[in-house]
Amino acid sequence: MSIQEILVWLTFIAAIGFLVKKFFFKKKTKKACGQDDCGC
Amino acid sequence: MRQINVALVGNPNTGKTSVFNSLTGLNQKVGNYPGITVEKKEGVTKLSRVLKAHIIDLPGTYSLNASSLDENIVIELLLNKNDKDYPNVVVVVSDIENLKRNLLLFTQIKDLGLPTILAINMADRMDRKGISLDIPKLEEQLKTKIALISSRKNTGFDKLKNLIANYKQLSTEACCNASRVDPEYFGNLKKTFPDQNTYKLWLVITQDANFGNLDRNQIKSKTKSFEPKSQSELKRLQQKEIIARYTFINDTLKQTLTKDINAAKGLRASLDRLLMHRIWGYLIFAVILLLIFQVIYDWAAYPMDLIDESFASFSEWTKNTLPAGQFTNLIAEGIIPGIGGIVIFIPQIAFLFLFISILEESGYMSRVVFLTDKIMKKFGLSGKSIVPLVSGTACAIPAVMASRNIENWKERLITILVIPFTTCSARLPVYLIIIALVIPDKSFLGVFNYQGLVLLLLYFIGFGMAVFSAWLLHKVMKTSQKTYFVVEMPNYKVPLPKNVLITVVDKTKSFVFGAGKIILAISIILWVLASYGPNDKFKNAEDIVNTEVKTENLDLTQEELDTKISSYKLRHSYIGYMGKGIEPVVQPLGYDWKIGIAVISSFAAREVFVGTLATIYSVGSENEETIKKRMSKEVNPVFGGKLFNLASGISLLLFYAFAMQCMSTLAVVKRETNTWKWPIFQLVFMTGFAYIVSLIAYQLLK
Repeated sequence: MSIQEILVWLTFIAAIGFLVKKFFFKKKTKKACGQDDCGC
Repeated sequence: MRQINVALVGNPNTGKTSVFNSLTGLNQKVGNYPGITVEKKEGVTKLSRVLKAHIIDLPGTYSLNASSLDENIVIELLLNKNDKDYPNVVVVVSDIENLKRNLLLFTQIKDLGLPTILAINMADRMDRKGISLDIPKLEEQLKTKIALISSRKNTGFDKLKNLIANYKQLSTEACCNASRVDPEYFGNLKKTFPDQNTYKLWLVITQDANFGNLDRNQIKSKTKSFEPKSQSELKRLQQKEIIARYTFINDTLKQTLTKDINAAKGLRASLDRLLMHRIWGYLIFAVILLLIFQVIYDWAAYPMDLIDESFASFSEWTKNTLPAGQFTNLIAEGIIPGIGGIVIFIPQIAFLFLFISILEESGYMSRVVFLTDKIMKKFGLSGKSIVPLVSGTACAIPAVMASRNIENWKERLITILVIPFTTCSARLPVYLIIIALVIPDKSFLGVFNYQGLVLLLLYFIGFGMAVFSAWLLHKVMKTSQKTYFVVEMPNYKVPLPKNVLITVVDKTKSFVFGAGKIILAISIILWVLASYGPNDKFKNAEDIVNTEVKTENLDLTQEELDTKISSYKLRHSYIGYMGKGIEPVVQPLGYDWKIGIAVISSFAAREVFVGTLATIYSVGSENEETIKKRMSKEVNPVFGGKLFNLASGISLLLFYAFAMQCMSTLAVVKRETNTWKWPIFQLVFMTGFAYIVSLIAYQLLK
């Protein structure tokens, strides 16, 4: 596999990884209300 | 440098955002409040050499009695000392002409015991409107400091900054003590929670808001220990509180504000009569819509073509300059066109928001809401939904972004969900080629061309489906949010170029850096799927095609041979096999695997359908006539006969009319709703519906 091929697959994996991260791993929102059932 | 938090609060249409822009300039960022898509604007301004202010532009609210998601945010921030944005000082922005109504919110915030400054905006209008104000007396009555400001003339901001910097000197005493409406009840409340602000407790009891370390139930159970109040009693007490506040405001303004009615001019009334006239009002609005449509459909085409050509040249240059190989191909054919596919939308987004911002700033948008709200409400939409819906006929992306101007969350969501049904310009190339292929080029009654009529019908179907889905969603979607029809008619103003510019820049940035990243990632994935195959047929495509050509003794030019190889490669690529994989699913609609590939690849953008078919059929040209001739010869692999006949053609047209086939729109919906739930719902619902309709059409017509 040439270096160009490796770069293609790395970019492809990065693109998939980015979408998976966006799709499945939401940014944790800071709960700053000081209580558990605040609903924010 | 020390930093303090400043909350900018005020009624809608008081010029709060202009004040925010004047204070922060371009040192601002726009985001969302966690979990919801209420816009969060924050910025920084330097107050002195040692002090800077982090300013939060909170959503417009009429009072601390929340009736919407936006208003809840204001209350939750002002009540929650643990919030990182909890303000050191609150600036209540009011409008000189609506001081009476604006002061209700001020007195409520003042009662919370927060250092509060009153910024009276649009002070430049005082002379013209014959208004004079006794500032020292008003400051004394309201127990605060006042800054007379004008965002238009950019005056009074030094004083405002100075007051903010010296916020510790401000009185935190209540100006209109709400406790007097029921001294016994409030007295007991104070006794039970001696360390808490009584008005905060009152808001926690009566509002659906969060409150620092105290649990709502805890408060309610403790308050029950002295004298429980029923919901209706609490409501009555709330009403008494509001009446008490207005009595205080009336008395205060009687002593401090004078208005010379003769000095006021009647231009606003004349304009209102014209712009809200039951015939002229709609006609003028139609002309404005036509202009917006023209600009984003037609004028935007020039910069868009320029962007398109520039990216094509850049792509070509990259391919010729970088070392040959697959990564160079990915850059030239995947990444650069992917970025081009994002940048190309900028002119449409910028033009649309230029108009929307001008309409909002000038005060005309409120008149539009008044005109159209009654009709649109029946379908679960807002009067403001009309602009995004009409813009959707050019492109769904700026249209979805334009729906942010709709305050009510349910109405905004419904608008976002139904916009992609309107016929966008990307559908046109698909419609034109299919119509030309399956609809006879004859006239009805010798006047109306059948092909033109079908195209018109497709536009109506799209708009009709958008309205019908809105009505359906309105009936199905439940919301606990209370909605009231409150439409305020702000004064007509010449839009401030700075505000317009900031809106245009914000929206464009939000698209490029938000949805753009998703679009680019999907472009890369689609390119890889179309450029690699799972077996040797893809790798050895050139040899196989060359052998075939030799065996069949075909006399092909180099260009024809290259096209044939591309076609062979596409058929044996991952995307090609995906097309073949979905053939059993699309066969009942009258399509073969080749159309399947085109349907999958047009997920990148609908117009890609034509180009993909050109590659599959080895046409070597995207010329419509050439592709049309080739397509008309295609034979249905299962039933024989022409593949593109009336039945499959109508089925395909309906599929493209209803299916959600635009990754950019999905990305922008994700960005606007802050969740994948709604774009996935759109994808499944629209594509599922498109499938059923196309299936019925094909089975009936075949």
